[in-house]
Order: sequence, then C-alpha cells, then structure tokens
Amino acid sequence: MPFTRREVLGAPALLGLWRKTDRVVTGSFVNDSFPTGHRLRDHATFAAPKQQLRVPIVIVGGGMAGLNAAWHLDKRGFRDFVLLEMEQRAGGNSRWGENAISKFPWAAHYVPVPAKGESLARELFEELGIWRDGQWDDRMLCFDPQERLFINGHWQEGIEPEDGATVRDREQYKRFQAMVAQFRATGEFTIPIDRGLKPSPLDRMSMAAWLAEQRFDSPLLRWYINYACRDDYGALARDTSAWAGIQYFASREPEEKGPLTWPEGNGWIAARLIAKLARYIRSGSPVYRVARDGGTLRVFTEQAEYLAEAVIWAAPTFIASYIIEGASPAKGFQYSPWLTANLTLDRIPDQKGSEPAWDNVVFDSPTLGYVNATHMSLATHIDKTVWTFYWSLADHTPADARRLLLAKDWNYWKEAVLNDLERAHGDIRQCVAHMDIMRIGHAMARPAPGFIFSEERERWLKPLGNIFFANSDLSGFSIFEEAQYRGVEAAKRALGVLGRA
Amino acid sequence: MSIALFLSVFLIAACGLIYELIAGTLASYLLGDTVFQFSTIIGCYLFAMGIGSYLSRFLGRGLVARFVSIELMVAVVGGFSSSLLFLAFAYTEAFRLVLYVVVILVGTLVGLEIPLLLRILKERIQFRELVSQVLTFDYLGALGASLLFPILLVPKLGLVRSALLFGIFNAGVALWSTWLFREQIGSAPMLRAGSVVAIVLLGGGMVFADRISSAADNNLYADEVIFSRNTPYQRIVLTKWKDDLRLFLNSHLQFSSRDEYRYHEALVHPGLAAVPGARHVLVMGGGDGLAVREILKYPSVESVTLVDLDPEMTHLFTTHPVLSALNEHSFSNPRVHVINADAFRWLDTNTSQYEFIVADFPDPTSYALGKLFTTAFYRLAAKHLSANGLMVVQSTSPLFARQSYWCIVDTVKQAGLRTYPYHVYVPSFGEWGYVIGSFAPYEPPRHLPAGLRFLSTSNVGELFVFPVDMQPVPAEPNRLNDQVLVRYYEQEWKDVAH
Repeated sequence: MPFTRREVLGAPALLGLWRKTDRVVTGSFVNDSFPTGHRLRDHATFAAPKQQLRVPIVIVGGGMAGLNAAWHLDKRGFRDFVLLEMEQRAGGNSRWGENAISKFPWAAHYVPVPAKGESLARELFEELGIWRDGQWDDRMLCFDPQERLFINGHWQEGIEPEDGATVRDREQYKRFQAMVAQFRATGEFTIPIDRGLKPSPLDRMSMAAWLAEQRFDSPLLRWYINYACRDDYGALARDTSAWAGIQYFASREPEEKGPLTWPEGNGWIAARLIAKLARYIRSGSPVYRVARDGGTLRVFTEQAEYLAEAVIWAAPTFIASYIIEGASPAKGFQYSPWLTANLTLDRIPDQKGSEPAWDNVVFDSPTLGYVNATHMSLATHIDKTVWTFYWSLADHTPADARRLLLAKDWNYWKEAVLNDLERAHGDIRQCVAHMDIMRIGHAMARPAPGFIFSEERERWLKPLGNIFFANSDLSGFSIFEEAQYRGVEAAKRALGVLGRA
Repeated sequence: MSIALFLSVFLIAACGLIYELIAGTLASYLLGDTVFQFSTIIGCYLFAMGIGSYLSRFLGRGLVARFVSIELMVAVVGGFSSSLLFLAFAYTEAFRLVLYVVVILVGTLVGLEIPLLLRILKERIQFRELVSQVLTFDYLGALGASLLFPILLVPKLGLVRSALLFGIFNAGVALWSTWLFREQIGSAPMLRAGSVVAIVLLGGGMVFADRISSAADNNLYADEVIFSRNTPYQRIVLTKWKDDLRLFLNSHLQFSSRDEYRYHEALVHPGLAAVPGARHVLVMGGGDGLAVREILKYPSVESVTLVDLDPEMTHLFTTHPVLSALNEHSFSNPRVHVINADAFRWLDTNTSQYEFIVADFPDPTSYALGKLFTTAFYRLAAKHLSANGLMVVQSTSPLFARQSYWCIVDTVKQAGLRTYPYHVYVPSFGEWGYVIGSFAPYEPPRHLPAGLRFLSTSNVGELFVFPVDMQPVPAEPNRLNDQVLVRYYEQEWKDVAH
C-alpha cells in the first residue's frame, strides 16, 4: 500500500499550508558593480580613447563627494569641468530605484538634521528647499513613528531596548548618556570630523574594549551600541575604533526631531544634484588610467582622454593605486561589504498591534532590519509597500564576507532575508512578491581602531601632485556630510591650482 | 449494493477530512500561527482516530445500529463544530479547550467508522476484496474533500455552512444505512427518526448560518448588529435597538441616529452660516453624508465635494434605504460630488478653493490617522480656503480628552489660522469639541437655516463658552515628525476607560 490513511488525511492539510506559504518570489541581483571594478583592479584591456579633450578639472566618481565637488565648482561660476561616473547613473551610495508602488533607496537613506554649525549641509539644503524661511520642510522630516524594535515577541517604540530592561540596564543607559554628553562638551566630536578633531587615545582601542574598561556590561546597552556600530560603520563594536563609536553618539545634537528622509532615501538629494549638474556628468565612463605628463594630468576613459590641470578623486581611495600612476596602495583603509534588498510587498504583514515605523529593527538579528519606503507618504491607508533591507555582514571579516557575497546565489540570499524577517513577521512569505538584491563589496569605510589618527590617513589627505582626494572614506566612515565636506574641500583646492581660489 | 456501500465510504471519508480542515482553518483565522494550529490539530485528530480504532474492539453486538448511531453523532458534532467554535470564541475564554475537545471527539468517532464498517461487511465480501475497496473509496473521499474545501467550500459557503453541509451528508449516510442494512436491523424507527431530526437541525443551521457569525459580532456591541462588512479600509458595523441606529467604524461609534443632529448641526452651521453666500464647500471624511445633508440646507451652495477614503461607505450611504433616508439622499443630490480618495494626498494634488471646509475625520487613534490632524495638513487645507472662508475641524472631546482637544486647537493655530474653539453636548458621545479656523476674525452667525432641531441664533453663541473643566490646558502642536496628539489621545482615553 503506497499510502496509509494517516498520510492521506494529513497530506491535503499540509497541501493547504503549502499553498499559503510557499509563494513564488521573483527577483535577481541588481546593480552589480564588481565586474567593472575587478577589470580595473586586474588591469584588463580597455579601448583607447576616441578623442582628446582639454578640460581644466576632472572629477572622478559621481557619488556624494563627486556631486558636491561639482556643485561647488558650478556654484563658484566655474563651468569648465567634467564628472566621470563608472556606472550608467551617478549617485554612488545614494543610488535609488522605483517601481509601481514607490521609489526606494539602494543604500544611504537619511541625513540627520544638520546642527547650526554644519553650514555646508545647510547651504545645500536651503538651495534644495528643504530649509526654508527658518524652518525644515516638515514633509521631509521623518514622520512619527520613526523607529521601533522587535524584542521579546513584540514591537516597542524606539531602538534602545526598553522592554525587559532592568534597573541596572537603565542605570547604565543613563551613565552612558552622561558620558556622551561630556564627550560632546569637549567639542572634539564634530561633523565634519576635521572641525574638532584632536588626537585621542580612544582611537587606539576598540569600542568593545572601551565599554569593558568603563564597566558597561548591560547586555541591552551592549547590543544597542553594537547595533549602532554595525549600522553606521558596518562593523561590530570590537572591530570599531572607540573614538568612532563615541563619535556616533557625541557628534549630534539635533535641534529638530528627524532625520531628513525621503522615499528614495538620499537618492532624493542625488537626483536633484544630478539634474542640476547634468551638463557636466559623463556616466558609463569608467576611468581606467590617470597619468602625469609634465604639468598635465591625462585621464583615460574609453570615450575620451581628458587633459586636466587638476583631478578630484572622489572614487573610493583604495582604487587609486590601481588607476593612478605612481599612487601607492591605500593601506589601512578597510571597507565593509553590504547586502541590501528591496522587497516589494503587495500586502502589509501582521503588525501585532504595532504601527509600521520608518526604521524597523529586530533585536538579536545579525541584520539591520528594514526601512519602509512608503513611510513618508501622506496617505492614511497603505496596502502595498517596499521595504529596504540592510545587512552589513559584520560577523565576518570584510574579505570573507565579500567571498560569501559572490559565492552564494540569489536564492540563498533571498531565503536568508526572508528567514530573518520571519522572526518578527510570521506571514512575511505571503506578502512578498518580488525581491531585488544588491551586493556592494566595498560599501562603507570602516573606522577600525587606530585608523582615524593613522599616518596613512594623514598621507591621503594631502594631494598627489594636483590630484585631490575627496572620498568620505578619508574621514574613516561613509556619511553624507563627510562626503559633501571632502568633495567641496577638494573642489576649493582644485580651483586654487587654477588660480581661482 | 456494493456501489452504494462504497459511495457511503466515500462520503464519510470526505466528511471526516472536512471537519479536520475546518478546525485547522478556523483556529488559524482566530488565533493566527497557521503552522502551529494545523500541526496540533492534525496530530490530535489522527491520535483521536487511533483511539476510535482501538475502542472499536469493545463494540460487540448490533454493529449496524452502532454504526448508524456513530454516524449521527459525527453528523451533529462535526456539523455544528464550526458554529460552536465561532460562538466559543465570541462568548467564552475557553476557545482552545472547546477546539481540542471538538477535534478529539470528532476524531474518535471518525476513527470508529471504518473498523466497524469493515467488520459489518466482512460476512458479505471476501476480505481481500473488502479491504482493497473500502480503503480505495476512503482515500478517494479524502481526495475529493481536500480539493473541494479550498476551491469551493471556503470561498462559496464559508466555514459554518460547509461544516453543516457535511453534517447533513453524514446524517444522510446514517439514514441510507438503515435502508441498506434493513435485513440486519429491521425497520429501526428510532434510528430513522434520529437521522431525520439531525438532517432538519443541520438544515435549519444552514438557513440561520448568517446569524451565527453576526451573533459573534453582537457580543462586542450593545445592540443587535444588522449589518457588518470588512472593507479594505475598515470594518463597518451598523447596530439597531428600537429607533436607534448606530454606525461603528473599527468598533468606534460614529453616530447614533437619535442625537446625530446635534453633532452635525454643530459641525456645519456655526461655520457655514457665518460665510454668507458660500458657493463651494469641501467635506473630508463624513462618508455617512450627514454633514452634507446640513450643508445642502444653504441654497447659495453650488457644489459640495466630499472626499472619503472608503467607496463601500459612500455606496452604502447612497443606496441603503434606511441610511440614505437618514442623510436625506444627499449623495444623490446633483450638487454633491463624491470622491473616494485619501484626503491628505487628494488635497496635495488639487488646487481648488473653497469657502467652507469640513474636516470630519475619525479620532486620532493611530499615527496613520494622526497625520490628518497635523500642522502640515492644516497648512495644506488653508491653501484651499478662500480669504473669507472658514474651516471646521472635528476635534474629539474637550472633557474626556482635554489636552488632545486643545492640542488640535493649537495645531490649527500653528498652521497660521485664527482659531475659534467650541463644543456641544451629544448624549451618545458626551461633550464634543470642534474648532473653526479662519484668516479673518470670526463671529457666530446671526441667521441660521430654518428647520434646525438643536441650534438657534440664541444658543449658537453659547457653544463658544467653555466651563472651567474644559478650559485650555498647555499642549504642543501635533506635527508629522512628532505626533504628540496620538500620545495625548491614547493616554487620556485610557484614563477614561479605567
């Protein structure tokens, strides 16, 4: 007998489950940039330029640093430059996408409300209409509820774990906050970091070691600080400089509840800069060689060879040695690999009595949770949405994580993402229709212990002849404000070369 | 003879599986966690069938009569299982207990069926043939049921009726068996009568099945539920007791037909009567058409645009005879244009100007609804308000939720409007608050439309006087990035409830 009565009775019921749960999710890897990156690294053959053009300033890289360098040049009335972008579209870590439901970010998705001292960010935001008549545009300040944490089987408001916190946990939260306030008062923790930076022994130890030294042993506080390091630097607290770990908390004192955010994340800023600066941008133009010929810099792309007087290198610093003749390898620069996934949901999962927040984090998950793209919608009723899921793979060394990213197929990562979300949303598999996944091998600079005050970083802050380095990795971590600052600073110095300072 | 027998086997197998599927589905609907519910229910059910099979050895004489009685028991317990479970969920705390008792009872009875049948038939049919045939039809029945259940039964009949229908099949098999085995048991009048009674009972259940699911609703509402519907946006429930018709959206009372005139006259006339010659009016929310009914009392009004999220709501209040009579068929009036859209987004994509704007939204019970009570919303609404126009906002109770009320007033003020708060007593709600927002100074109207039941030129001014226990308290304005109102509101109504 092939079946027993038991199996026949059981099977249809299980069949019923199968119908409900194992919904087909479509999707693929998208925006892979490593093929071009690896060709550059391996000095593969590129076609010779079709033409030679004389352009005084060339910007290499169209992320936030490059776009802001261009913004500054244009603003100063300097029009004789180009911005060369490897990808088909500029934006870098502020790239974004769009589907029938919403726009959504691929990486950077917010900017904290700039404090009064951050004049550069304010200048740009005023130009973009985010800051108007002495007020922030309230449609761009993250709507309430901003953040929530899934812990002990339910959602709580805010990411700092409150649920199940003991008296000792709370006492340590308070003590930590008090120490952060003291650090803030020193004026050494600023954005951009250059403004207040003073040599500090904190950079020599890891954030985890500092916590241990200060006898912070609350598991909830440690989880929270570890989460912060993973979120901003893609690294665990034990792999992050204590100076940088403290910087995360001590550098900001927002006057307004934020952050600034948009459905497409920082893509909103990128899109406006790209539109404003379109005439300078040459996308799909990887720079494969930069050579020096007397006082002239020769910048090679397949489309053209640019003869420049100054180059603003806004691409990641570690690439420089593969492309710029005479540049030595950027030692000490570490980059965290990231995986981001955009999930199309045609049904909103069960919320267990909570309301969806903008940023949704699951306690004790190795991932960073997800950001809800429709959160900034004015609608009261939302029945479809897009979630951007972030995972910094911080549990592995960056090299191992990069290998893993490339070794596993889309299906593996799709299942990993769904399994992680299932911790908080039991019905997630019935809600997800589509999932695109982006793998970024060198997504964010990682402020490892010792890096911020290293001689190596100091060396790259100086120009190489008339090549000015501008990537945010020079600050040790990748945030909008550092990218903007570095881009603008490099632009100023490039103008100086031309006697236009 | 044998075809008839095996058809019975087919039917009882189908019935057995259906009860199991119903218990699993119902438990998943009501308790969630599908995997857990199905696993435990399948497990208990199969285990109970094992108990049934084991117990079958203790049944000796009169096997046919026993078989028929067991069929009748399965018919009644299985047939009424989903009704019983729905009621248990609505009225008792012991839903899980009832669930597993029902599952074990039905499983045990179903477990008895096949062994008994095999023993009854072993005298007539060669054993090898018998086992083969009985098990074949048993499996076929299970297959039929498992396909029928998701494709036809759940979508077309629902859980309550499906169980009852299969109960009728079980009772039918019992009745049929008294005829098939008449040689063994004679005419068996008691068993036949029992079968007929079971079929009538289950058939009666089919007729009143609707009442069973709304009876479950009834427990949540004081009065009888006469209408309930889940739309993609909300749960609409209408209750009636004597002449009092009440509308609930997501269990929140929206109006009582006995005193809604107080609420709606106070919502519309203090504002609209003070804008002489107003021609264009916008109502946001208010899908019941009752505010529009009041607005249509002004001959000067040329157009009323009503923006409500839920098309089923406005459809109901356009077509339902009792409800459309209540709003005096206002949605069928050619001056009225109904738009089903999310109000904030609609305002954002529209540039029309109005002399009078009504914001009649449900109370800010969530951050989603709270968006409609923010500085950003009122600033946007003000852009649609003509220079001499007025806006009125439904603003919850200044007595029960005092800080929430004054928060809304401050929010309208923060949006750049002059504010004129007022309140009214609505028996079914209690003290209720509104606020008028305007660019120019406002004074209560000296003329009102004829035929009002509550407002008159002599009492309209009194609405603006707040007794001591409702006077202003400090509150922050409600903003999109900091919805203090939702937190005030939750706290204050929690305090009222305790």
